[in-house]
Amino acid sequence: MATSYVEYRELTKRFGSTQILHGINLQIEESEFVVLVGPSGCGKSTLLRMTAGLETINSGEISIADRVVNRVRAKDRGIAMVFQSYALYPHMTVADNLSFGLKMNKTPLERITKSIASAASILKLSQLLKRLPAQLSGGQRQRVAMGRALVREPEVFLFDEPLSNLDAKLRVGMRAEIKALHQRLKTTTIYVTHDQIEAMTMADRVVVMNDGRIEQVGAPLEIYDRPENLFVADFLGSPAMNLLSGKVVHNDGRMDFELENGIQLPLPDNSALRSDQQIIYGIRPEHVAFTDDDNGLPVNLTLVEPAGWETHLHADLSGISLRLLSVERVGARPGDSARLAVDTSKLHLFDPTTGRRI
Amino acid sequence: MNRQMTRTEESTLRPEPGILQDWLGRYRRFFLIGLPLAFLIIWTMVPILWAFLASLKNPLEIYESSTFFPRSPSLAAYQTVLAIDGFGKWIFNSVLVTAVATIVPLILSILAAYGFARYLFAFRHVLLLLYLIPRIIPRVSLIVPLNDLMTDLGLINTYWVLYLTYIASAVPLSTWILVGFFRAVPREIEESATIDGANMWNRLRHVILPIAWPGVVTAAVLCIREGWNEFAFVLALVTETGMRTLPYALYMLKDSMGVQNYAVYNAFTILTVLPLLIVYLLLERRVVESIVSGAVK
Repeated sequence: MATSYVEYRELTKRFGSTQILHGINLQIEESEFVVLVGPSGCGKSTLLRMTAGLETINSGEISIADRVVNRVRAKDRGIAMVFQSYALYPHMTVADNLSFGLKMNKTPLERITKSIASAASILKLSQLLKRLPAQLSGGQRQRVAMGRALVREPEVFLFDEPLSNLDAKLRVGMRAEIKALHQRLKTTTIYVTHDQIEAMTMADRVVVMNDGRIEQVGAPLEIYDRPENLFVADFLGSPAMNLLSGKVVHNDGRMDFELENGIQLPLPDNSALRSDQQIIYGIRPEHVAFTDDDNGLPVNLTLVEPAGWETHLHADLSGISLRLLSVERVGARPGDSARLAVDTSKLHLFDPTTGRRI
Repeated sequence: MNRQMTRTEESTLRPEPGILQDWLGRYRRFFLIGLPLAFLIIWTMVPILWAFLASLKNPLEIYESSTFFPRSPSLAAYQTVLAIDGFGKWIFNSVLVTAVATIVPLILSILAAYGFARYLFAFRHVLLLLYLIPRIIPRVSLIVPLNDLMTDLGLINTYWVLYLTYIASAVPLSTWILVGFFRAVPREIEESATIDGANMWNRLRHVILPIAWPGVVTAAVLCIREGWNEFAFVLALVTETGMRTLPYALYMLKDSMGVQNYAVYNAFTILTVLPLLIVYLLLERRVVESIVSGAVK
């Protein structure tokens, strides 16, 4: 049975009068890869830095391996951290960068040599050991930063937006490398990013944060398929979910959703909704499709963005903008008329007052 | 042939520039950079060169305004200077006081600058500004109170009076220089070292100082220059001949010699300036690096 390895209990953080974290509660299991994701300023990096011991804790507790570490120094927490800017020591060679932590902890020379050789071999750095960071590419520097974390043999890896400084192609490669490394070492990992693709592809569990609070925790697809509130629904997914305001109406014994412009969209048969109830009608762009059915929603296409493997489209539904995503090649052009069908089995309905899922 | 064609093609694409424009364009670099630099070098070097050439002249030859180069160069003036009773002691005094007035301020200001650059404490901005006060107040205005104070403390005519005043004067300067360099070291690098297990001393020694080394060298050069050239304090606080430093001894040379021997004055000047020039030349590359990096950051 998996045990809770890192645990946050009612954790708060203030910078002056600004409350950054509002009572965070979270349990991370051993060997788990957890991604903290959220917009800038949501408190995810602060939470990670508090875990590392780089920020003080105002109240609450952090425990690592069943030991409360609130007052434990960073070096004694059993963590290693990879920073966004790599934070390599620019005046030291790769070998010295890797060995610095071990030297500081008075590790015997023999073990240092062995650890460096092992980390360099795993991260393909063996040929670069005598180089200075300035002589390395972005990807190589990132690998050195990971190697420096690796040689410490930590109980928990902390990654603070480690791929943000890399170009798109390299980022995809490094993403796979980090994931592969985790699968090999099985070290508990907390990874902070604002990139939802990183979150979705790397995490065992995703923690969506906003404004210093946890909005939802779950497996990537679970969160994607069943967002618990409007924020998560809007934040996860690119292009973002269509969120339409309107009310529930009765039509010949069945329920429909009526937009503010009077157009009606279908609702699932079994939904337990009241007539005239105000709701937010959420539908992901990939769940809206073109149809030949004359009963389909009449729209005008306003923008067509072919991305190669998929096409993003924007359509105007009598003054309301809809986003669509098609994995098929689309021959349509802006200005063309079309009819759309909504997959009612994939709808997400939210209460506009509380923002909660209905 | 090819080149000819290319030029013709270019000329059809662009309007023909005027001869003056063409000439200005070609020599733009020279006018903007070369000429001011040449002027600066001449401005700086001519007095030193003039003093050096004068030191090689016959004492009477200096009064002949028509000669720039010595007719029969001689090192006699240097022999005279080296033979002056107490010259060795003055060099020793200058070296000793400058060394102390460089090493001690550097140690103090490295620690102070690290504190200012990295720790958040109340009134840190005000305190850093207060650090500048000794540099803002005219040195001459400090002489009388300092003289009174040092007399009361019984330190007049001791090395301590020079150590204390020189150090107090150098610390603000080097602290201000180092604060800028330390702040430029990314905080994440230091945090990384913290996680790696480095305490404050180890972070300072193994991470901050090596990265900010050009700044330390710059501060050191300025401390050396200040200490070596200092005149007002030594003039006011030292009266014994054996306690003089080179600038003070040079100032007193006229009185001690009785006759106006400009060759000897200039030889003394050159011998006073020479050690500083050697230090500059040795550290020049580091200083330039630091100035450039400081400008970019």
